[in-house]
Amino acid sequence: MVVQTETEATPSAFRAPESLRPRRRRRPSPLRLVMLGLLFVAMAVPVYLLLVNSFKPQQQIADNPFGIPLSELTGRYLLDAIESPQFNVIGGYGFTVFLVVVVDVLCIAMAGPAAYVIARSARRRTRLLLLYFLAGTFIPGAAVVIPVIYVLRAVGLVNTITGLVAHDVASTLPVSIFLFVGFIRTIPVDIDHAAAIDGAGRYRTFWRIVFPLMRPAVVTVLILNSIGIWNDFVSPQMLLSPGSGHYTVTTAIYAGISQYSTDLTKVFPNLLLAVAPVIIFFIYLQRHIVSGLTVGAVKG
Amino acid sequence: MVELAELIRRRAAAGERAGRGSTRLRETAVSLGMAGPAVALYTVMTVVPVGVAVYLSLTNWNGFSDALFVGLANYRHLFADPDSTHAWYVTAAIAVVGTIGMVGGGLAYALLLKGRSRSNSFFRALAYYPHVISALILGYLWAAILGTNGAVNSTLAKLGIGPVGFLFDEHLALVSLIWVIVWAGFGFNVVLFVAALQTVPAELLEAAAIDGASRWQTNRRVVVPMIAPVVTVATVLNLVGLIRAYDLIVSLTGGGPAGSTQTYSYLILARSFAGTKVGYATAQAVFLMVVSAALALLVTALRNRQDQAAAG
Repeated sequence: MVVQTETEATPSAFRAPESLRPRRRRRPSPLRLVMLGLLFVAMAVPVYLLLVNSFKPQQQIADNPFGIPLSELTGRYLLDAIESPQFNVIGGYGFTVFLVVVVDVLCIAMAGPAAYVIARSARRRTRLLLLYFLAGTFIPGAAVVIPVIYVLRAVGLVNTITGLVAHDVASTLPVSIFLFVGFIRTIPVDIDHAAAIDGAGRYRTFWRIVFPLMRPAVVTVLILNSIGIWNDFVSPQMLLSPGSGHYTVTTAIYAGISQYSTDLTKVFPNLLLAVAPVIIFFIYLQRHIVSGLTVGAVKG
Repeated sequence: MVELAELIRRRAAAGERAGRGSTRLRETAVSLGMAGPAVALYTVMTVVPVGVAVYLSLTNWNGFSDALFVGLANYRHLFADPDSTHAWYVTAAIAVVGTIGMVGGGLAYALLLKGRSRSNSFFRALAYYPHVISALILGYLWAAILGTNGAVNSTLAKLGIGPVGFLFDEHLALVSLIWVIVWAGFGFNVVLFVAALQTVPAELLEAAAIDGASRWQTNRRVVVPMIAPVVTVATVLNLVGLIRAYDLIVSLTGGGPAGSTQTYSYLILARSFAGTKVGYATAQAVFLMVVSAALALLVTALRNRQDQAAAG
């Protein structure tokens, strides 16, 4: 009886009359159009200027930054930027990709098993490890980089790629481990027991059974760390002196542009080269990148 | 399933009988082997440096010669140094005004773009993209746009307005810096808030509509209170991020003009450290860590309260 009255009452009582119900397709209000217009201008104009002015001579950039002078467009400045001896963009890409891959691999190799131990342990002491790692997220990178130089000097790794990689991997561990622990705890522990009965050791259980199930968390961590390392400026700048001859995209841009900041035919093409790979990646992997970075920032 | 559980129990019991001590020891050794590398690297590269920072902050080390112990002199200097005090004002201004702009802008556009249409997701991506680009590069881009012969000034010149010192006027430079910070960061909040808004039950909105609430009233009284916990967390995340601002200052203003955009992180690295006052720089760094940790603890406390509110 009760059920019957409820099912009968629901439609009429809980649904607004036709006139009050928000209509699915409504005409955009003027306010909405104005705000979206402002958003479009504010966000698109810098990219437009970057793109257009990378192909224009200095005089044209200064006189008419928004214009597209068809007769004067040239790829010369972009080519100059690619071939410039002061700013080796191809080398910058290569070294940065190398750094990203090495840090990603080492981070997963270390954070995965550590997170597994933490997530599956019943002991309080092991669980406290998570807090130990999480404390690292409180430390601002710009503040800790000076004593890191001191430590690297003590172990003889200052101004070496190994030193930079060690620091970068360590800086990615806290958030990666935190996200992994959270994810592993959602995987039923029965799976581990089943693997153990089949004779798998803990390493094997983790890498063969649990790790493949962690794909979403691994993707998140890879995106978070890759973008973080690609964009990092402080660590490569402070831990690899210019004398080492190794430049990431950011330190190469810094070295190049701080010298030629008034020559816009050098500034725009170099910035375009630095931004292009990231933007292309963003367009292709937009959904993964947005959710990965958001989850990483909020949970970390 | 029952059989499996029984089997596991029996095996575990057998293991314990066979040699409690040795199994446990092996268990511990395996755990140590799995967690050890991460713990060791993190300890050496993150925890030890914090200790080193505290030690160096009590010395007058200049990076080359022997460090001399000077007690708390660096910290006393820290609070008397006008550069240091001024950098805190700048940092606080950036953090507070920037956060208000980012959260406010994020909320406004999230309410506008919360629907699941194609055009909305395009605009959300458009608002978000600076978040994936290095702050250093965004700073150079905006320096080229706002500079003396940049796009904005050359457009103003056509209207007969003389060059505006967006980056070269002591007051305007800070405004420009905050504008770029908000421009680069509000899209992240849009995405965060849209995710929260999409979980607001449709029944609530319909109920508000039945009661005759306007769209503005519904947003103010129903929708925003529903996502208040996310707004709180975003606020503190933005604050914590902004008190560390460094890269953008390097490329946009270089701390100038006359130190008017010099943040605390910039002061530490570009002035104290570059000026070989390493001991003093680490004292400043330790102080920044303390402030940063206090703010981050606030995030944790707020998040716990939010979780409890969600659970209860």
